[in-house]
Amino acid sequence: MTLSPSILQQRPPIGDLLDLKSFTEVCQSFAELYRVGLKVFDADGNKLVDVKVGNADFCGYIWAKPQGRVQCTATVSRVKGDVLPEEARPFGFDCFSGCRYVVQPVLYEGDLVGRIVFGPFVPEDAKGLPSSLTSIAPDFDAQQALVYQEKIRRASQASAEKIVRHFADILDVLVFTGHKNLLTARLHIEAVQESYRELQEKNRALEISFARLKELDRLKSSFLATMSHELRTPLTSIIGYSEMMLEGLGGPLTSEQREYLSIVMEKGEDLLQLITSILDISKIEAGRIKLVLSDVDLAQVTRDAVATVVPQARKKGIKIAYDPTHLPRVQCDREKIRQCLVNLAANAVKFTPSGGAITFGAHALAGDRVALVVSDTGIGIGEDHLDRVFDVFYQVDSSSTREYGGAGLGLAIVKSFIQAHGGEVSVTSKLGSGSTFTVVLPVRVGRGADIAREGAGPEARG
Amino acid sequence: MAGKGTMVQINRETHEIAVKVVYYGPALSGKTTNLQALFQKIDPKVRGRLMTLDTKDDRTLFFDMMPVFFRTNQGVKVKLKLFTVPGQVMHESTRRIVLQGTDAVAFVADCRRSEAAATQSYWSNMLKNLEANGLDPRSLPIVVQMNKRDLPDARTDAELDDLRQVVSPVVVPAVAIRGEGVVETLHTLLTLCYRYLDPQFGFDREWHISEREFLEQIFSHVDLRGTAFGQTGTPG
Repeated sequence: MTLSPSILQQRPPIGDLLDLKSFTEVCQSFAELYRVGLKVFDADGNKLVDVKVGNADFCGYIWAKPQGRVQCTATVSRVKGDVLPEEARPFGFDCFSGCRYVVQPVLYEGDLVGRIVFGPFVPEDAKGLPSSLTSIAPDFDAQQALVYQEKIRRASQASAEKIVRHFADILDVLVFTGHKNLLTARLHIEAVQESYRELQEKNRALEISFARLKELDRLKSSFLATMSHELRTPLTSIIGYSEMMLEGLGGPLTSEQREYLSIVMEKGEDLLQLITSILDISKIEAGRIKLVLSDVDLAQVTRDAVATVVPQARKKGIKIAYDPTHLPRVQCDREKIRQCLVNLAANAVKFTPSGGAITFGAHALAGDRVALVVSDTGIGIGEDHLDRVFDVFYQVDSSSTREYGGAGLGLAIVKSFIQAHGGEVSVTSKLGSGSTFTVVLPVRVGRGADIAREGAGPEARG
Repeated sequence: MAGKGTMVQINRETHEIAVKVVYYGPALSGKTTNLQALFQKIDPKVRGRLMTLDTKDDRTLFFDMMPVFFRTNQGVKVKLKLFTVPGQVMHESTRRIVLQGTDAVAFVADCRRSEAAATQSYWSNMLKNLEANGLDPRSLPIVVQMNKRDLPDARTDAELDDLRQVVSPVVVPAVAIRGEGVVETLHTLLTLCYRYLDPQFGFDREWHISEREFLEQIFSHVDLRGTAFGQTGTPG
């Protein structure tokens, strides 16, 4: 808990609940209106406001006499310090000078929180000066003192009490308002802090579960990598022995046996390719992708990639156009870029019906970059799928009866490999008219890429 | 001291005891209406102003607070502060803050059948917030006020009796808007509150405040007309 349990129960001294500058202004105008001085003390006797009206000359003259000073101090300390009952009514205090004060305790929520001192004023029925004043000094000039006394307002006890009561009502509202505003502000701050604390707790919980998920994801990728590797080993034997039998190393085969073995080998190779893709993806996800850089002729790499899909394209009656322009040599991982192009080309063949065409293009871009473009006249990709075709395992048609096979890894691998080079891959497409994939590569791979120099060799597990 | 959440404030120097009472419940169940009715019924001599912190569209944003105070025959000043919490769901953190260190709780519920789900949910919410404040709902004085008995769809007396069988707090019926049941709720709650605090803080033994005086000091200044105590005039 951010809050001490008592915050709503605590109440600061009234001086802290009032804006003392503006409160003083209110007191001044009040005192001037009634032409009587006004003082306000808090519960500890601290003076909050002191407005003098009319008594400066009279009191100043008395103060000039040593005996006057003593008596004056005594009066002030009585007015200020005498214990008063906890009652919201005025109490009268007579001064030795013949003047009078009314003092009203300030009560708030049943507590004594201060006092209002109204005065001095001259009681209405007072005549002349009392002997308690004239006897304070042998040289006391009564005439002069009377002239000074004229400047102090005359008032009845009743009207003085009425005025002080009225002032107490005003003060009560001011204190109440101040207290209310203080509580509002404090509670507001506490509520915000409390909400913030709650939010932090939730964030912490989310962070923990996020870390846990990341760890699970890493375990999954690691598992995939291991499994792919383990699956490939026996598969290589299946393919190898099939090949040996086809070559007649195990003796002569009937044409049927030959046909069956061809199918075993072909499907074995499909499976191997799939497993290799999974291995690639799991390496990418486990963050183990390393580039083996060399200066590469992209035209050559593109030609290689095209060559791998030509037989398939021919079988489907798809025309392939390749238009190499002059390209600078690009620093990149030859094998990975080749694989990207093969993946894009294989996709193009897969999704283009017979009679269609696939175009490979390449051109230099400003800012030391080159673009490789693979366009087809295939079925195209709907707009709502465009954003996600590069996601791992994403298939535009993921139904079990879908027409086109594949693991949904090809484009994800392309994206990861190209990004590892500091490049990017994008797609534009129109349903029914075809798709265009564009790979943009920097001529030089920037820093920060995970790079192994040519000759350092691929990973041990690869 | 009692559990960490209990906060009855005792100031031995100034001979003062401060007790905190909170009116808790769903939005629009009548918490502020309870305080407004008490404000009308309690003599200004023993209560302060009803402080309403920032209402917007007649809804409590922060809380309402009304102080009630008296001095015992032995000169001990007892200050009772009655608070309400904001009912709207979004003010959860404010509810928890206001609930801090409370000495007693009046749970104000709208007794219409249609409100049963909201009541149940706020009851659980209150238990959770009490525990978050280190308060034990099993020992803390709690009174359930079934408010709005005048509305159609309100639970019947028989149903309230059934409710009494299954919940441990005292159940008090009320129509707070007409002031009915409001004094009874406070009286029941303060009786429980005294019995809860007295053994822990020696109200009787150490401060010489008997249960009878504790209640009489307050309720002798309350307008009891129309209440269960109206005939005798002296409850407690």
